[in-house]
Amino acid sequence: MKTKADFPSINERKPDGLREDGEAYRVLIVDDSMFVTKQISQILTSEGFDVVGSASDGEQGVEKYKELYPNVDLVTMDITMPKMDGVTALEKILEFDKEAKIVMISALGKQDLVKKSLMLGAKNYIVKPLDRAKVLERIMMSLK
Amino acid sequence: MSTIGNRIQQEQEEKVESIDYKMVTFSLAGKEYGIDIMKVKEISKAKRFTYVPNAEPYVRGVYNLRGDIISMIDLRIMFNLPAQKRIDDTFEDMIILHLDEYLIGIIVDEIDKVVGINSENIQPPHPIFGDINIKFIKGVVENEGRLYLILDVEKILGDRTGEEEDRIRPRLVPAAAGPERKGPRKAEAGPSEIDYSFISESLQTFSSFYVSDINRKWFTGRFEDWKQQRGKSGEEVQLQEVEDAAQFLRPFYSAHTGTFWSDEYRERLKEVLASLQTGGNLLVWNPGCGEGYETYSLAATLKEIFPQPQCKIWAHDHDLLNISTAPNLIFNSNILPDSLLDFTVEGKNGLQFNKTIRDAVLFEYHNVLHANPFPEVDLIFARDILSFQTQQDQNKLVLEFNEKLKPGGLLFIGENEEIKHPDFENISSGRIRVYRKIER
Amino acid sequence: MRVEYINPFVEAAFNVLREVLSDEVKRGELFLKSTSQPVLGVAAIVGLTGDVEGRVLFDMKRETALAIASEMNGEEISEMNDLAKATISELANMITGQAVTKLHDLGFKFDLTPPAIITGDNMEVSNSGVEALIVPVELGKGKIEINVAVRERA
Repeated sequence: MKTKADFPSINERKPDGLREDGEAYRVLIVDDSMFVTKQISQILTSEGFDVVGSASDGEQGVEKYKELYPNVDLVTMDITMPKMDGVTALEKILEFDKEAKIVMISALGKQDLVKKSLMLGAKNYIVKPLDRAKVLERIMMSLK
Repeated sequence: MSTIGNRIQQEQEEKVESIDYKMVTFSLAGKEYGIDIMKVKEISKAKRFTYVPNAEPYVRGVYNLRGDIISMIDLRIMFNLPAQKRIDDTFEDMIILHLDEYLIGIIVDEIDKVVGINSENIQPPHPIFGDINIKFIKGVVENEGRLYLILDVEKILGDRTGEEEDRIRPRLVPAAAGPERKGPRKAEAGPSEIDYSFISESLQTFSSFYVSDINRKWFTGRFEDWKQQRGKSGEEVQLQEVEDAAQFLRPFYSAHTGTFWSDEYRERLKEVLASLQTGGNLLVWNPGCGEGYETYSLAATLKEIFPQPQCKIWAHDHDLLNISTAPNLIFNSNILPDSLLDFTVEGKNGLQFNKTIRDAVLFEYHNVLHANPFPEVDLIFARDILSFQTQQDQNKLVLEFNEKLKPGGLLFIGENEEIKHPDFENISSGRIRVYRKIER
Repeated sequence: MRVEYINPFVEAAFNVLREVLSDEVKRGELFLKSTSQPVLGVAAIVGLTGDVEGRVLFDMKRETALAIASEMNGEEISEMNDLAKATISELANMITGQAVTKLHDLGFKFDLTPPAIITGDNMEVSNSGVEALIVPVELGKGKIEINVAVRERA
């Protein structure tokens, strides 16, 4: 007879945001939209991620990354931002830390900028509108 | 037309009990009046009446209500009331009544709303209440603090001599034709004039075709032919519905409207087009391009005459349904004249024009009366578009053509259209109507 | 406006709105306006560059904007605060972004600028005499007029 212990309970599924050792993944959100930042933050924290910082333009994003390093596991990076756009910020962060894991967020689809980011070293990209499943899936893929 | 009609529906959801009489209320020279709603067919606003000569002063004219010709009575004039100052181009409130078997319209200062009352509250009229003759007032009623004079429309509109009646409603009794019109008539007020202006009005209503100096020559000729034709076959001269108007207009359209140009037509055009002087690019404006048959025919023809210079055609239409298929137009070889075959390529659904031709044309959903950002052009191809604009817009467009055309450039308009403008020299040949902009 | 540009905007509006809102989305008849003035109370503007120059403007009443922002954030928002404005800007950004992507697939190179949002009565957006294509969209929450004014770069 199988006991309760033999069946992994759905309710006890480990949230995506936690590593094997139980610690939360740490995420930096870089986006000029207050709404998008809030949305991503809500999705991530509900899965156990820890949002350690946010920035509203590329310049700020690079600074924050350098400040928080090495305590950032992943960055979500909006492409279209004032002052410094996401692709430039991506380059700069990778210059600073070539192991950085960055996921691009964009309203544009398979566009030149998205392709460029991937070639420069972004791990993945997510097209808006954001839905929870898609966001979590792409982020998990990038963390592996 | 009427959004007041919707309001009436709303008002009819009354909360007050025992309402057994409803009336449309309106104002005339500051006083409020009402008319039994059972007699009201419709409420509307209008600004264009066709003046009828030799009618009473209170007959402002006749109005074309979707094909029905209705006499318009101005109650203010009829009752000798001071009328509001009329600014020529404003809409006036009118109430369309149906009395017995015919329709009549009355013009008032301002229509208010539908009021429901209990007919027991209607009091007999007293001369002190009104400015108008008491015999025209059915009664008086008060509602929500306002006093309404209820008009007896039969008395007002029936109270004329037999002669006058007939003159006002020439078309209202269907069986009637010439014989009904008795009474003295001055020479210039012939029924023919009325027919002419009625048909002109109907063309506007049904086909958005506006008679003006640009097409008057054609229209007058066509009118005479039409009258004769209809007289012989015993049919009604007047245009009663859309199909009549379409039939009337059929001979107006230029050759090959809505299809590709025939080989012969292209040869004739080439003779005129060859005179275009062009160094570098050839810029063309094609307003009213429709589905694009004309545009593609033109592009191919220009390519034949001027193989070297780059051709660029701005093709515009404000009918989205028509123009949306133009950029990727697909067709069968059986509608394509032989000489155009070289410019096409076979696709999986049929023939299309080749890349060179298609790249030369920019199809835009655009109202040509709005601002146009493109530069001066060598050629304007605008067949049959002027006649489908209001007279005011026709003038605007001609000025626009003048501004946008380079000196020495060519303007093609409809075969049955003509313009008179000091900057344009008429170089028309045969059925092709073309003008050159004079180089100064 | 170039015929080929029209469908991408219409489809993008339809798709994005259906995805982010629970409303039924109905498209009204397209038409042309001779000026590109917004009229309803809240307008989000996204600039367009590349093969064309111009902008897309999303025009709606204040109540509609608030209702949309409330649903998109999962909370009741009763005034046009920063969050509400950011939300409507983002909506404009997503619709324009998807349209630009479709246009790219058709061979037209468009680029977009970050959105700006303006609110208030009697708004005036400078209009250099460019005709606008209006795509009216009806939602349960109200109407959005998508107002596209572009011209080909010579």
